[in-house]
Amino acid sequence: MSKFKHFIVLGAFLGASSAFAAEQREIVEHKLLMDHGDGHLMDMDGGMVMGQNKDKLPGGCDKISEDAEITVRAGHKYSKNFPGTMFAFDKQEWRVKPCTRLTVHFINEDNIRHQWMMHGLPKFLYDKGMFHLEVTGPGKISGTLILPREDKTYLVHCDIAQHMEKGMKGQLVVGKGGATFPSIPGLTDFAIPDNYGPTSQTATAAVQPSAISPKAAAQPAPSASQPSSNTGTFIIGIVLGLFATPFLIGHFKERFKGMSSKDVALYGANIGKSLFDQAVHLVTSLYRNLRK
Amino acid sequence: MQTRPLVFLFGSALLAVSSGAGAVTSPPPSAKVQIGEAEPFCNSGVPGEWRKAQTIEGVTIQESRVCNPDNPADVAAFVKGTNNISMQTLMDTSNLAADAITKTNDMDGDGDPDHIIIKLEIMEVNGHSPDFAGVVPTFDIAPGIQPGFWVFAPKSRDMSTRSFASVEANPLLRMPSAPIRVEQGDVVWLVVENTHYFPHSIHLHGVDHPYMDHGGEGNDGVGQTSQMDIMPGQSKTYVIRPRQPGTMYYHCHVQPHTHIPMGLAGMFIVEENRPNNWVQTFNVGAGQVRHPSVAVSEKFNQEYDLHYQSVDKELHKLPQSANDPRLIARAMNQEYDITDATDDYFLLNGRSFPYTLRESLVTVNPNEKVKLRILNGHTETLAVHTHGHKATETHYDGVEQNPGAQVTRDVYMLAPAQRLDLSLNTTDDGLHSFGSGVWMFHDHVEKSFTTNGMGEGGSISLIVYKSYLDENGAPKTHGMDLKQYFTKEFWDRKIPVWQDWADDWGSLAEPAGTQAASVTTAAAVKSKSAAVTATDNSSSPLGSLFNGLLFGIAGYVLYLYRERVLAVIGQIASQAKGKH
Repeated sequence: MSKFKHFIVLGAFLGASSAFAAEQREIVEHKLLMDHGDGHLMDMDGGMVMGQNKDKLPGGCDKISEDAEITVRAGHKYSKNFPGTMFAFDKQEWRVKPCTRLTVHFINEDNIRHQWMMHGLPKFLYDKGMFHLEVTGPGKISGTLILPREDKTYLVHCDIAQHMEKGMKGQLVVGKGGATFPSIPGLTDFAIPDNYGPTSQTATAAVQPSAISPKAAAQPAPSASQPSSNTGTFIIGIVLGLFATPFLIGHFKERFKGMSSKDVALYGANIGKSLFDQAVHLVTSLYRNLRK
Repeated sequence: MQTRPLVFLFGSALLAVSSGAGAVTSPPPSAKVQIGEAEPFCNSGVPGEWRKAQTIEGVTIQESRVCNPDNPADVAAFVKGTNNISMQTLMDTSNLAADAITKTNDMDGDGDPDHIIIKLEIMEVNGHSPDFAGVVPTFDIAPGIQPGFWVFAPKSRDMSTRSFASVEANPLLRMPSAPIRVEQGDVVWLVVENTHYFPHSIHLHGVDHPYMDHGGEGNDGVGQTSQMDIMPGQSKTYVIRPRQPGTMYYHCHVQPHTHIPMGLAGMFIVEENRPNNWVQTFNVGAGQVRHPSVAVSEKFNQEYDLHYQSVDKELHKLPQSANDPRLIARAMNQEYDITDATDDYFLLNGRSFPYTLRESLVTVNPNEKVKLRILNGHTETLAVHTHGHKATETHYDGVEQNPGAQVTRDVYMLAPAQRLDLSLNTTDDGLHSFGSGVWMFHDHVEKSFTTNGMGEGGSISLIVYKSYLDENGAPKTHGMDLKQYFTKEFWDRKIPVWQDWADDWGSLAEPAGTQAASVTTAAAVKSKSAAVTATDNSSSPLGSLFNGLLFGIAGYVLYLYRERVLAVIGQIASQAKGKH
């Protein structure tokens, strides 16, 4: 009998797990959070609020200027409008007045974790200067904070490795705002832009030396292209030698007319000396470049 | 004849260039290369209590005498499940998610949970940033070496770095993908939440699993034959109930020729079923298992997971070369060619020497039996050699060898993806052990005790008898000062390895004034430094221009004196004819 029961339980577990994925379509609202003090709330399903502050006024605010609410949606599908990203928020910028009490409803529509994490708040009110909402999707979590009085732009992002880099980044502008942040989709440019050339040079040059990227063509690598470019300069040399020599001889005939052979030798020596100086200069500068 | 002085000048200039060859010149004296700042042997900053044997949440945790031991709170959470520990212990973990491991339902009534939900996320370490030139979050395999990696990590919470001010990865986000332990007969839901920007999957190599689950979904993790890959932002639950114990393997089966080397591969151990057998679900960073299973404890004093991996630095640079996932995908899937690849870095449990000494020492006492589980995650054969010991091969790919036919030897060979269980006996009998000491163990394939060709590096680690360990986990070695291995300059190939050791005057140091050149030759051999190739090229076209110029002048001179030359040629020709 107990063995039979055992099988039923086992079957239920094995079967339930496939329903597990299907079940997760609807957005779960995480409301029953455990309060750990200091504005840190958490539940056992991955819902989390850090830096919640509903009543402590930041310095400079004598009262709450207004109560505001925003709803932020997050997920892969919001990256659709931003080529080159993989995750995004539905909006990239939110604007509020100084001393606003802001409630953020964060809805994660993916089946993984996402975060709405703010940095740069006063540390005496907010641990590590952070306000942070985190939920595993599909799910919703809400949190409240009071913004300081200064005009400032705050970074908002998901800190899961590569989520901010791949598009999940925005800014919260308080009052007139302050300095903005780079690489917010649709708002600001990358500080380090990507290269969309025919083939990315560093990557392909390293992987396949035979692929000729534009940069490789400009300063040829020691490969098949090198001999041909050298024959080119060799031919230029021949042409110069063939056609410039008569002119040079003509020129020097004019120049040295009526001079003694001693004077001519002196003149030649002077040219030689300046050539030698230039050569030394070239060698030292090359050496310095090498050291760099 | 005004051309004569010119010819004279040219000649004398050429003479001047070649002169000096006859003079006696002394070779340059030795110069001392500054070794730069060396890290201390141990800078983990962990509390000393972490290394001690202790009990947390009723979980007995063995002592771990290394510099960077596992956080005991993590171990307790891995053993009990995040649903069965106090909130304080959960807060003391390295940011483990509240739903990372759920252990419930003692189905067979033997005192341990049999329904285990394990949640994994896929994390990139040493990844690209469009905002600054460095990588984030960082995980160094050796001083200054940060290849990009992808790993399966226990589900975590909060920031991926240690703090907002730091770019260093949270301790859970590291190489290798954490070894996973379950008990034989457990119903395991392995939930993969794909937090990465590429499709991934899990193939349970060698672990007993049905081809389809009860809900009719593919369970084998192979896109071509089983089930579509897990897309970014999606999750998938693999359902298994393994009937056989053993050391197995799990890895991503999407573009596996790059995803396995990128780090999406780990050990999967099915422990024998025993009563009251709470197994340590994760062993983050591999190495010592601080809470061995009941069955292992019956036969052994200690247990270690040893995961060997190799890294082609060109591959691991690709995710760092662009931000746009489309560019990274093109570089990895269409441009990278693994058949032209060579491995540069060799890792044991995610690090190279000397960092292996901080966490992957096998620390033993005399007269112990230690179980070593080895996985060859290399792209080539692995030949592990233990100095001072001959261990016994007990299991191949998780299946026990007939005890009467088990082999005891000192080089243990594994093909890629193979697993081997060893029994290391520290009884000083001249066969199993040669006695106490600091004994090296390493892959004996020569290149794998280098880091990008610089030795000694790679996957070297040590078997250390505890009498040879100080309180910070540093082995009391009796050889050279290991300081240079803890500098970035050493791995940059800047330091002459023997400069301080031969004598006071540096008879094996760097000849003065040649250091830059030697560095650049090394770089030129690798043909990676753009600066060097540029200068190489600029000198040779100049040379060919000069040669061309000489030929041109010669040609003109020939043209000037063509009549005389023709006459000479005619004369020679007629002489030749006359002879016939």
